[in-house]
Amino acid sequence: MDDNLELPTSAPKPGADAVKEEEEQSSGDEDQGPDWTKIPGLSTARPVIPKRGEKDFEPTTHGGSGLQRHVLDRSRSAMLEALKATRTISNKSVSHAIWYPQLKRAHVTVARGIHFTTMGHSVARPSATSESVKKIQRRLELLPEEALYLVERGAMYCWSPTDLPLPKSELLDDLEGIPMSVQQAYTEMIGTEDLTFERYQVYAYLKRLGYVVTRTTPPSPDYPTPSSAGSTQAFGSVLNRLYRSISSFLSRLVPVFVGGRDWWRPITIGRWLHHNMDNTSLFKSLRFLSSGYDVPLHIQQTPSAPASPYRLVYHLYKPSTPFKKTAPPPPDFQVVVVNARTTPMPTISELTGLFGELPELPPPVPRKRVSFAQQKLAASAPTQTPAPQTSLTPASSQASLASRVWVWVWPWSQADDKAKAPRPTNPFPSLKTGKKMVVVAVVDAGTISFFRFGQGVFTEWPMS
Amino acid sequence: MASNRNRGSQKSGARRAENNRIYAHPLPLAFSNPEPGSTFGYVLGLLGFSLTKIENPHCEGVFDPATRSVWITNERDSSILWRRGFFGKGDLSRSEPSWLARQISARKAAGKYMTAEEIREKRRAERKQFKMDRAAAIAKAAAEAEAAFAEGRQAAPAVIPSGATWKPQQLGETAELPEEAPDDKDEDDELEPLKDVEHLQLTLQEAFFLVWNLDCLTVLDPQTSEPLSLQQIWKAFQNVHCVPPELPVYTNRFDNPFLVNYAAYHYYRSLGWVVKGGIKFCVDLLLYKRGPVFHHAEFGVVVIPVYEDSRDQESSPFNLPNANTFSWSWLSTINRVNSQVQKTLILTYVTIPSSSRVSTDLLSSPACLAHYSVRDVVLRRLIPARMRD
Repeated sequence: MDDNLELPTSAPKPGADAVKEEEEQSSGDEDQGPDWTKIPGLSTARPVIPKRGEKDFEPTTHGGSGLQRHVLDRSRSAMLEALKATRTISNKSVSHAIWYPQLKRAHVTVARGIHFTTMGHSVARPSATSESVKKIQRRLELLPEEALYLVERGAMYCWSPTDLPLPKSELLDDLEGIPMSVQQAYTEMIGTEDLTFERYQVYAYLKRLGYVVTRTTPPSPDYPTPSSAGSTQAFGSVLNRLYRSISSFLSRLVPVFVGGRDWWRPITIGRWLHHNMDNTSLFKSLRFLSSGYDVPLHIQQTPSAPASPYRLVYHLYKPSTPFKKTAPPPPDFQVVVVNARTTPMPTISELTGLFGELPELPPPVPRKRVSFAQQKLAASAPTQTPAPQTSLTPASSQASLASRVWVWVWPWSQADDKAKAPRPTNPFPSLKTGKKMVVVAVVDAGTISFFRFGQGVFTEWPMS
Repeated sequence: MASNRNRGSQKSGARRAENNRIYAHPLPLAFSNPEPGSTFGYVLGLLGFSLTKIENPHCEGVFDPATRSVWITNERDSSILWRRGFFGKGDLSRSEPSWLARQISARKAAGKYMTAEEIREKRRAERKQFKMDRAAAIAKAAAEAEAAFAEGRQAAPAVIPSGATWKPQQLGETAELPEEAPDDKDEDDELEPLKDVEHLQLTLQEAFFLVWNLDCLTVLDPQTSEPLSLQQIWKAFQNVHCVPPELPVYTNRFDNPFLVNYAAYHYYRSLGWVVKGGIKFCVDLLLYKRGPVFHHAEFGVVVIPVYEDSRDQESSPFNLPNANTFSWSWLSTINRVNSQVQKTLILTYVTIPSSSRVSTDLLSSPACLAHYSVRDVVLRRLIPARMRD
């Protein structure tokens, strides 16, 4: 791996290979900056965000070298050129909106493009077309982060309403107010409707990746909220609740009986009774100390403590999740946004509070077992197109022959295979995901780290 | 090639079977069933009785307050405690107390062949050499590219050694193996017989787990060599954290480090995990399924004590690690280290009962442990750019 990174960049690479390699290396690691030299046609109207390239500059003990400086300068000027390009959008595809600071909403007057399939919501507002008749009309409105995102993207033109008489313009059909610059939009929109700068940065980052991001707490009754848990989940939760109530009843009952537990000898190993006569039951009887999330937390809160910054802010839907704006499905993730410099890690009380609000995750789907040989075959299949079918058959027959011989040499391996057949559920996916999960986006001056905090299920998956 | 691989897997299969036999018991208490097919046993089983015999090894160790550990010096006992549940660590070994075995094999090898340690050292030396060679080649290529750039010509393609192509030079061959001694036989006779100077050291949590729950360990007083009673052990294991001892600030504390560590240790042990120290990976504990000889540790555990009453923390003489929330950068550090070695990070919160809720009288016996609670949080990084579908 590090072989690749330490190669000097001087040797020119053949074009096709270089592109392929670059794609391999940029397999989704989002931390690096773009390679500005690779931007095609800088003077064209549409700057595109390119993929990252290789590191151009590595300090050496002898100081910067001529070659490295040359490469660095080339990249730097490419970046400046790319940034210099004027970002333009066709008059026919730009949307228009009016920002109402009192309402903290942007009213979309002209909606174009696909953005509005996942953004904005419809609100009934009294329209003030004529003085006497107040008509209730539904209109499309954007939250500040949505409006700001579209403005920054260059997909929407935003106006400030004004009472001043507007001059007639030849370029635009009708002026709707004073045009708003991107800077102005930032100043006016951030800070309204609970939108902090960090939250906007997280919102915009996730939107750029194609996620659908909505608010967890509806800012107004008109805001669509996801349907609560589906029917299959409800059935599970009924069982769960039943189980929980029985187990909590039993756990309350147990102290009545074991009130006289000899704390100097917690485990009595029965000589004759079946009780704990094997390892499983011995381990079971070792679990007499309290653990898990059903035990009450006795943490005393200081009454003057400020409200916790750990509140769910955004619902997150993967790009592949079918999303309907008017009836959003249950979200894939729920996100909390905090500032890394001012907010410490969550305490267990804060995490317990968050877990209390979250739905239980469905059990992780067991991964399909693919043998290493099959994986390799699958990986190489697209490159070696000529007749993989024929080359496959002898390999498999060979394998079966080998396995037959194997069984003969090593008879109990077959017994092992038979025991494997009704494979018990692998506890590790569950242990590594947890029962409930919250995503914490930690923003450190624009750099966002996402952490998943999962509610551990170790008590439910004992190893023996 | 195929036969080679077969032989390899056969060897590993044999080793696995051997390990299954050696490490058959997950705890020092061993259960043995007489004849499984007997009707007498079956009838007794129906009646709720069993013929299963429990074999308690009754091990013995010496409490050592200075190292906060219990020393098992008896070879039989240390082997039992290691093999049945992977308790303790050899003081001259990385885990299993294998010092004597390594010495013996080194003597037996005596230059005729390489011991496992020597092979490892050789491999490390080769790896180091490879890295030096590669760095030199890279520097040379960079200098060449630089010169070419200055002269305005195309740089000659450079060959950088990679892990796959690099071959060790002959330089080590002669130096690695010490030259064969002609008077090998005589030297062997001159060597005095090896004495096992290694002991198995148990952490206080491990020792208390064995004494308190399984009653399979006797802890001796270091001065008198008399067996300590459970009451004395309970006091002594807490007092090692009180320096100087007998100060009034140390009395009646629910946050004695021994209690907090024990609560976390007992929690994972009782769930069937093999629990070892994790200082190598910035964590407090490592959790193994079955044991270190079977699998790598799956989880790294950071034990985070949580005071129910913050006033208890203010008055605490202990300054427990992680009691104050650590920074995001430290969390990232730990998580990076652990994901690098394919481990999942677990934050384990142990609540410390407040002295206002629970009577401090309970501290005189392990009954107080019932008032601690343990809950775990799984921590993983989420990379939105890779989770899009």
